[in-house]
Amino acid sequence: MTNSSLTTITAKAAPEETQSCWSCGTMRAVHFCAACGKVQPPVPVDYFTFFGLPRKLNLDISRLEKDFYELSRKLHPDLSARASSQEQEWSLQQSSLLNDAHRTLKDPIRRTQYLLQLEGVELEEQSKTATEQARSAGELKKQIVPPDLLEEVFELNMQLEELRMHKKMGEDDPALIEEIGRQKLELEEKQEALLRELKDHWETWDGMIQRQQNGQPVSEEERKQERGKLVDLLNRRNYIRNLVRDVSEVLEN
Amino acid sequence: MSYSDKVIDHYNNPRNVGSMDKSSADVGTGLVGAPECGDVMKLQIKVNRETNVIEEARFKTFGCGSAIASSSLATEWVKGKTVDEALTIKNMDIVKELSLPPVKIHCSVLAEDAIRAAIGDWKKKQESAKPVASAVAQ
Repeated sequence: MTNSSLTTITAKAAPEETQSCWSCGTMRAVHFCAACGKVQPPVPVDYFTFFGLPRKLNLDISRLEKDFYELSRKLHPDLSARASSQEQEWSLQQSSLLNDAHRTLKDPIRRTQYLLQLEGVELEEQSKTATEQARSAGELKKQIVPPDLLEEVFELNMQLEELRMHKKMGEDDPALIEEIGRQKLELEEKQEALLRELKDHWETWDGMIQRQQNGQPVSEEERKQERGKLVDLLNRRNYIRNLVRDVSEVLEN
Repeated sequence: MSYSDKVIDHYNNPRNVGSMDKSSADVGTGLVGAPECGDVMKLQIKVNRETNVIEEARFKTFGCGSAIASSSLATEWVKGKTVDEALTIKNMDIVKELSLPPVKIHCSVLAEDAIRAAIGDWKKKQESAKPVASAVAQ
């Protein structure tokens, strides 16, 4: 397991560094004891910590995959068949944590969402609070999504509905199908562009985390601003993703 | 998760679906969205200039059953109310009436946002329609 981030975990010993291995008493890592190799009881850590990663958004996917397979193998129930039933249970629990962590971190969108969640961003709660504030202040709530995007989403949904109706009636509408097909291409381009934009913001985020690791102060205001940009991008992307899905569905059926 | 009977009723027989002339001075339009789930909701009101009573309401929502039911109910509730009365409708009133589960509360939030956005649009039109009066008021 050279060059693996797991070695880093062992060396750094994550947050629970005060704890020791249940079996041999040395300092333990998240999943296995570095000294005796015994599986450890799962501790509540976030997925980044589980893989020994900093909370950054750019990550080395090939290394993540490598670590994932290595850990999967080690945690496989067949291999721990000779271990105690307690150890087997821990292996199973660690395995399930491993799978969740891997699924979340390997996907760029889920990874970003997860990081924001760790940062305490609750989208729904924010929206509800904003509505309540607007209500008590007698003001208009600021919409998170730009009005022109909402307009576009609405119009395209209207067209899709029309096309669905036509299909239901058994009518063909080549002009509308062509128009929607053209929009589908545009949407896919937009989705790509949003992903690129998101990745640019990953850079900014990671740079900020790096600065913090280097001991430079990062203000809460800056952190909040960066979070806000990521949330905004994910929100816009949600709409586009839904539209691409709906458009494809209508065109295929 | 199962929908309540009231949600199913509104979903199967939505009230006041459709649209009104957006450019009309008496019509206020609210277009709002819940990016978490990708829903969009459009709610329009037609207001009597003399009485400030909402005489007509229309909606069109692309979203889940709860979002459709919330906006359908919202149009029913605002009709016959004055603009100020309509502003007192709270999302939790909708939650109670439709027995929405916690995961669907955001649909009721969206409906309240839509009402407020529609009224806000209408108010803006009234202000710009009588620039002299508003200049005096300031």
